Amino acid sequence: MKIVSDITAIMTGMWITWKHIFRRPVTIQYPEQKRTPYPRYRARIVLTRDPDGGERCVACQLCSAACPVDCISMQAAEGVGGRRYAEWFRINFSRCIFCGLCAEACPTLAIQMTPDFEICERDIMALVYEKEHLLIDGCGKSSEYNYYRHAGIGVTQPRGTGNEERLPVDVRGLLP
Amino acid sequence: MPKLIIDNIPVEVAEGTTVLEAAQSVDIPIPHFCWHPALGKAGACRVCAVKMLDGPVKGIQMSCMLPVMEEMVVSTTDPEAMAMRRSVIEWLMINHPHDCPVCDEGGECQLQDYTIAGGHGIRRYTGTKRTHVNQQLGPYIEHEMNRCIQCYRCVRFYQEYAGGTDFGVMGSAGRVYFGRFQDGPLESPFSGNLVDICPTGVFTDKTARFRARYWDYDMAPSICQECSLGCSITPVARYRELLKIIGRRNDAVNAWFICDRGRFSAATPVNNPLRPRTPRIEGREAGWDSALDAIVQRVSELLKNHGPGCIALVGSQRLSLEGMALLPELSTIMLADAPCYFCDERERVQTSAAVTGLTGAISASMADIRQADCIAIVDVDLMAEAPMMVLAVRQAWRSGAGVYSIGETVDLPCECTAVATLDDVPLATAQRPVIICGTSGFTTARQYVSLPMAKGEPVKISCILPGPNSFSAALFSHEHAAISLEQAISSGRIKGIIAVEADIPPELSADIPVIAALDWRNTDTVAAAQIILPTTAWAEMDGTCINNEGRAQHFRKTMNPGLPVHGLNPAGHPSHLHRTIPPGGDLRPAWQIIDELIVRMGGTRTTEQLNGKWEKLRHLDAEGDGLPIYEL
Repeated sequence: MKIVSDITAIMTGMWITWKHIFRRPVTIQYPEQKRTPYPRYRARIVLTRDPDGGERCVACQLCSAACPVDCISMQAAEGVGGRRYAEWFRINFSRCIFCGLCAEACPTLAIQMTPDFEICERDIMALVYEKEHLLIDGCGKSSEYNYYRHAGIGVTQPRGTGNEERLPVDVRGLLP
Repeated sequence: MPKLIIDNIPVEVAEGTTVLEAAQSVDIPIPHFCWHPALGKAGACRVCAVKMLDGPVKGIQMSCMLPVMEEMVVSTTDPEAMAMRRSVIEWLMINHPHDCPVCDEGGECQLQDYTIAGGHGIRRYTGTKRTHVNQQLGPYIEHEMNRCIQCYRCVRFYQEYAGGTDFGVMGSAGRVYFGRFQDGPLESPFSGNLVDICPTGVFTDKTARFRARYWDYDMAPSICQECSLGCSITPVARYRELLKIIGRRNDAVNAWFICDRGRFSAATPVNNPLRPRTPRIEGREAGWDSALDAIVQRVSELLKNHGPGCIALVGSQRLSLEGMALLPELSTIMLADAPCYFCDERERVQTSAAVTGLTGAISASMADIRQADCIAIVDVDLMAEAPMMVLAVRQAWRSGAGVYSIGETVDLPCECTAVATLDDVPLATAQRPVIICGTSGFTTARQYVSLPMAKGEPVKISCILPGPNSFSAALFSHEHAAISLEQAISSGRIKGIIAVEADIPPELSADIPVIAALDWRNTDTVAAAQIILPTTAWAEMDGTCINNEGRAQHFRKTMNPGLPVHGLNPAGHPSHLHRTIPPGGDLRPAWQIIDELIVRMGGTRTTEQLNGKWEKLRHLDAEGDGLPIYEL
């Protein structure tokens, strides 16, 4: 009987509706009420420093290469002692999709995602963040890693004194 | 012709070919570090291991060291060979630093590619890494010895191929060191090729240090504009800045390498911040329309006051063929005599004599020189005028050719016998004799071409010309019976000059009331001109030029014109402004400006460049060998 099945369908729908009317709502009154995102939430991107206070970013271009929307651009330069750093570093947050591929690609753990998702602006150009807006005074999520200690070339320490390295060989030595 | 089977594909190659080359001939890639087509084999890196399943030799073999033999059955994908190659990569990586993010080779590194291709991602060895002390190798090349994988390519190129003596290999066992005996600039004028030839980042280009990554490069096949040889290059640009020049393979011309002059001095004038970037009238910036109209107006005034023939159109030996081809049309419409492609009368006469005296049969390419067995160098300083010719001469000498020099003594990286005249050179008994001369010695050298030869081919001539496109300039000059600017001015009729990428000596143009300059360089002529129209540099446009041999070659646009982003904004980062044309980017190729002048003088617009006999050059493949113009 068609009429019976139609009534059953309506009753089932109504039952579900009434059931939810008496449940606690999941919606919160943002922005008066705010939720705290988890630490690994992917929002505003920052550039961190290593434990010695030096800029971690070496402007290797891997984040900009990994970025699917091409929102990262930079220029590398040579600093004191041959240290490679970003002369300028730009993330266009109006284009960023917060996928986190840049942070995943970063070999020095410089670029990291933070849970700060409230970055709306009325002027779209204000969403173009330069290095001074991105660089923070801290190590972010990894407090120990220092890329240049493992790199294998002497930049922050004399040659051959980094981790996993021997002292430079004496080329003119004859000993086996 | 031995026949063999590689990965189930039957291959037939010439005697003496290695298994690695035989595999490459059927598009089977075998990883290699030490083997290089120009340098041959060394058997140092062990990464080209293949398994011989059947035939005269069996088991794991180094494919670069093994000449092909009849009935060989080779497998490149055999598990044993693959395990061997994986292990080789792993032990090469034991001492290699983990510094790819701060290494300029990262992204264009053969070691990086093969490490990833071989699947070696996790380091198992927990010991320490060998380190070295680097050397200061001068202003052009950065040295990072920790990255070395001992393939010996650098030393084989530097000492054997280029004949350098101040760089070599020293040390023993795990201490092998590639460098100079002491710190100091590399002396060889071909040292820049170490950058190209190193399969990893031991030698990197200091002039482009930390500037960009391979995947961000603006690159295009191009032709070097530093001398008349026309070597194939790949300019590299990023953010409107010409960063560096990489050698490009062209077997007919430069083979694999380029000289340091082409590599390190070509970018500076293109990046020069003082380059003309906007049209100017009497020193004031002006729009394109007003500047072009100003030229037309002044030309009309001159024609009214002084009659036909008072304008001199001046081309040059660095102007592209497209521009040169349009100049005669402009001169006709401006009622001027044929355009002056040369300023100096002697240069015009000598270059025209050389270019008209060359034919396809006697013009020697650089490949001919590398294969020659007797070379006579007549009165020309090759190292100053055509450095890559020196490298070609050395390759011939390495294969046993006799090298003779006549006239001024030349310092060559090979044995060279000084003789008094060409009569003392055993040209007649040689199989493939070549005479290398300058324009001044061409007439003498040309007489020896028709000498009766005991055996072999007739004598070929390679004439070094003064500029990158001198050959075209001389062709047009001859075709239109043009005189030099020097002669034109001495007639006293010239009242106005339109200089198209021409370097006019200041004393010639001193008394000329009206000078208009189309140029991308900041020359004396531009400084003296009342009207300046900025043109695009060779890296910013497509064009064609003809090298000293008569080979027409096409070069492609590498980058968009404009002031380099680097250093443009005092804030340190690029501007946040949106523009359709970048600052200093409103430049036009010289031929377009000439065409625009033709239109404004009442002529018709050129729809297709390179008409008439040049039509074949329209679709010249920039990545090909070029086209000898004798075939047109």
